[in-house]
Amino acid sequence: MFRILRFNPEIDKKPHFDTFKVEIKGRMTVLDALENIKREQDASLTFRRSCRSGICGSCVMRINSLTKLACKTWATVEAPKHSAILVEPMENMPRIRDLVVDMGEFWREIDRGKPWLIMDETQAADLTRENLLTKEQLQVSSKLADFIMCGACFSDCISRVFDKNFNGPASLAKIHRFVADPRDKDPLGRVGRLVEIGLWSCTHCYFCWSQCPRDVRPMAAISTLRVLSVAKGDASEGARHVKAFMDSICRTGLLNEATLYLKTMRLDVLKDLDLMIRLALKGKAPSPFRLPIPRIDEVRLMYRLMEGRVEK
Amino acid sequence: MRYAYYPGCVAKGMAHELFDSTSEVAKRLGTELMELTAASCCGAGAQNEGNPLLNVVLNTRTLAQAENQNLDVLTICSTCQGVMCQVKKQLKEDSRLFSRTNEALDKIGLQYKGKVRVKHLLWVLIEDYGLKKLESQVTKPLTSFKVAPFYGCYILRPPEALEFEDHEKPRSLEDVIKALGAESLHFDGETKCCGFPILFFQRKTAFEMSSQYLNNAKQKGADFMVTPCPLCHISLETYQKKAQKQARIETNLPVVHFSQLIGLALGIKPEKLGFSKHMVSMLKVLRGL
Repeated sequence: MFRILRFNPEIDKKPHFDTFKVEIKGRMTVLDALENIKREQDASLTFRRSCRSGICGSCVMRINSLTKLACKTWATVEAPKHSAILVEPMENMPRIRDLVVDMGEFWREIDRGKPWLIMDETQAADLTRENLLTKEQLQVSSKLADFIMCGACFSDCISRVFDKNFNGPASLAKIHRFVADPRDKDPLGRVGRLVEIGLWSCTHCYFCWSQCPRDVRPMAAISTLRVLSVAKGDASEGARHVKAFMDSICRTGLLNEATLYLKTMRLDVLKDLDLMIRLALKGKAPSPFRLPIPRIDEVRLMYRLMEGRVEK
Repeated sequence: MRYAYYPGCVAKGMAHELFDSTSEVAKRLGTELMELTAASCCGAGAQNEGNPLLNVVLNTRTLAQAENQNLDVLTICSTCQGVMCQVKKQLKEDSRLFSRTNEALDKIGLQYKGKVRVKHLLWVLIEDYGLKKLESQVTKPLTSFKVAPFYGCYILRPPEALEFEDHEKPRSLEDVIKALGAESLHFDGETKCCGFPILFFQRKTAFEMSSQYLNNAKQKGADFMVTPCPLCHISLETYQKKAQKQARIETNLPVVHFSQLIGLALGIKPEKLGFSKHMVSMLKVLRGL
């Protein structure tokens, strides 16, 4: 049984679900089932598809509430887990018809990150010479170049639902691809522009990691960009939060919630004054005093040993 | 059952009721918790964004301390669980990182071999203790309650690091809720982010997230919500009134820690479970017991 979200703007005022019965057998994918429905039950069912091999990214859609490639998702695996296989268009993008969305927003966010190599003048002047990467350098950027631009991470990004200034996981991972490329002329400039396009909007929900059909792990790239941004002197609240965490652990081995509040929020902490009073009355307001853990010297030694070891 | 106990910083700070209720539950179930008092904070993902290598080394230091005692680690915080599981996975996949980490740990007389497992109390109750045995210990079945399970992120994703259950359709909380006699509800948001990681610097977004999921659970008829993560608890419970003010939604939905849920069904007195420290009144729930 398939429950598919239908929407034809010429007829429907709002989207609705239609139910279709399909005999699920053998190595049937969700895409196979959709094609079966289109061929045998309802020719008006609209969806994108092309390569059927997980390369083009066209058939990406929400299957049982998570964004996946229909051609890589086994109906035989989905069916036993749910009473009906729920199929919906991607989130965070306007619907055009049935399972087809307008991906314009996704592409605009990708462009906002300038996803192209900015060469310096000498490289640009002599394009006859190859400018090769070492094997190690290639390892970082080739993983990030595995993107098929399907938009699955953008669709499942929770922050993007609520924060339209967040350019999304794909765009940030694409930026990291060029920050990590030694041929790029402006890696520091790219890092410097990250805060304004939402570097600190990611919540670590890991949906972009779990749902990427190419295992690109955009969130890992976001974390690396944050490391670089902090190291470059980022003074935003997000960076202050990281530094406050680090300071607190180095000092006592533990998180000091009170100093984390103060160092991250500074005067904005006053917005929570009422809450802090109520917490204090209940005996659970964060205390600025925390004794160091036993063997704190070991933690501090590790700090000294690892200081400055930040890699792209 | 004996474990190297890693309660995490928040359970010993703003969510002390989690620490207290876990102690009560462990006593009742005959579980010995050997606290790793010299372990440092897991870093909650933030340490990884300050210095990823240090994050690995300090978390491995914690794992090595448990390994020295031949004990698995028991956590009561999904975030600690997730961070330590990710570090374990990194070390397993990267032999160079494994060597570099042990080189550093060698300077403080520690070595990590990779044998220790990290288990949330939720997993321990299912895998080691057993739901049937837990069911047999229930003295106050929660039959009159509809409970909304809130998994959050770190106990499910990234799936290859956690490997406990199907991250797409988790059922561990549901199974425990049912074993305690209550009805478990499904609602949109149960596996999503509570907003805590950005609570201090993207507050508007964080509040919109938490209030929406609380409201979804409320609309499904939940009497209260349960979470295995104290950070989710702060976002969903401690900040609930502020979030609902911004969202202009009246939820007033009590949110309990996982250990408190177990404690209620085991008949532990509510005052020992720390409900008086909650910001959203638990009175209706406690009256319904």
